[in-house]
Amino acid sequence: MCASTHRHSLHCILPPYILSQIAENGSPELRAIAMHSLLIDPTIRIVRASTAGPVTGTIARRRSAAGNVLTPSPLRTIRDAGGEPEAPGPIVVRREGQGPTGDVAVDEAYDGLGATFDLFWEAYQRNSIDDAGLPLDATVHYDRDYDNAFWDGTQMVFGDGDGELFNRFTIALDVIGHELTHGVTEKEAGLVYFNQSGALNESISDVFGSLVKQRLLGQTADQADWLIGAGLLTSAVNGVALRSMKEPGTAYDDPVLGKDPQPGHMDDFVRTNQDNGGVHINSGIPNRAFYLSATAIGGNAWDQAGRIWYNTLLDPNTRANTDFAGFARVTIDVAGRLHGTESAEATAVAEAWTAVGVI
Amino acid sequence: MQTGKACSEAITGEVRVRIEGGLAHFPGLAKEQTVSFNDLGLPEREELTSLADKADFFGCTPANETARPDARTYTVGLTIDGRSREIRVAEPIRDPALARLVSVVRRLSKQQAVAR
Ligand SMILES: [Zn+2]
Repeated sequence: MCASTHRHSLHCILPPYILSQIAENGSPELRAIAMHSLLIDPTIRIVRASTAGPVTGTIARRRSAAGNVLTPSPLRTIRDAGGEPEAPGPIVVRREGQGPTGDVAVDEAYDGLGATFDLFWEAYQRNSIDDAGLPLDATVHYDRDYDNAFWDGTQMVFGDGDGELFNRFTIALDVIGHELTHGVTEKEAGLVYFNQSGALNESISDVFGSLVKQRLLGQTADQADWLIGAGLLTSAVNGVALRSMKEPGTAYDDPVLGKDPQPGHMDDFVRTNQDNGGVHINSGIPNRAFYLSATAIGGNAWDQAGRIWYNTLLDPNTRANTDFAGFARVTIDVAGRLHGTESAEATAVAEAWTAVGVI
Repeated sequence: MQTGKACSEAITGEVRVRIEGGLAHFPGLAKEQTVSFNDLGLPEREELTSLADKADFFGCTPANETARPDARTYTVGLTIDGRSREIRVAEPIRDPALARLVSVVRRLSKQQAVAR
């Protein structure tokens, strides 16, 4: 354990409680070394993983005292359902920090959760779904020929697709981001999954799902394809994706799947009892508003437009039953607070909502 | 053997399923599908009958859960040898036997939809 190559002899000599005292009260140099030793102490890491939450209280204060801010980790756990309709799956196949397994669905889920975590942390300083380091769990290989992915309140669940119409649902990074964002929305505005608030809930998942992908690919708003689920449909389907944020209603038109039913303007708003009041249908309208805002503002969509939408999701004026117009007003308020009421950003957002007929 | 086979082949009935929700709304997949036992092979009929018994399909009280985001809701109707019932269940379906039954029904109806 205490090999001669160990760089921090403090760790080898001193027990953790002494290290803690040094981290709190020692000279700056000693504090930094003690903190490093504490942070690499396997017992602390094991406790952190098993308690499944952020390090708070005494250790957090000591970390702060040492001027050492630990980058949060997504704490991913991927489980395998083995083709059974069972979530969480019975077998843990990859944990945080472990290398690729060679199972493409497992590794895509792991990487996708990581990319989504990175967007929320690095762009918006949000530490995981609950902003308190909630571990990210996913189950893959759910059921047989299962053409779906969903958020069950505690984890993301991914099917392998039937291979005829749908490929595996981990293939699209934005779908992974979409599912995880449902968890964020649930923790924040709690938009009710029905009618317009439900369509906003769906749209927010599409927005941040797309931003995860754009950010990983390094694409500006102009360069992005603004498709959701590109690659999910097999070549047997006449379509390119599940949805298009840029041109809602154009993602597919197929004899088996039917035609993409999404509207891009309030004139075409669909009133229906299906799909929880059309949550995956009418989300096309706020999706297009985001696309128009992001492309009008320019640059990386996650920087300005994404920040406006993120702050709107956290704003107390966005409530569980907020409708399109209410959400639009908050985005404009937020853009005004961030950039000025007469700013190009606030103007772009207001014009986008006008263009889709919401305000 | 011969007696058992004749008995199983005599099972009559049909399966009806309507799937709502999911990560996207596909109008072509949102229609109710009906599969007659006459169009199913013997193993499929036996599996459906066995799973319906295990899940106590005709007697159970389904949990009245609202669908989670992107989770599907299944309205499943079964008619087997004169017994008939329709229930509505949302994912995730926690009862393993009912989850397996819905899984089989879903795949049979999908085959039917694609074949048409
Ligand atoms: Zn969704």
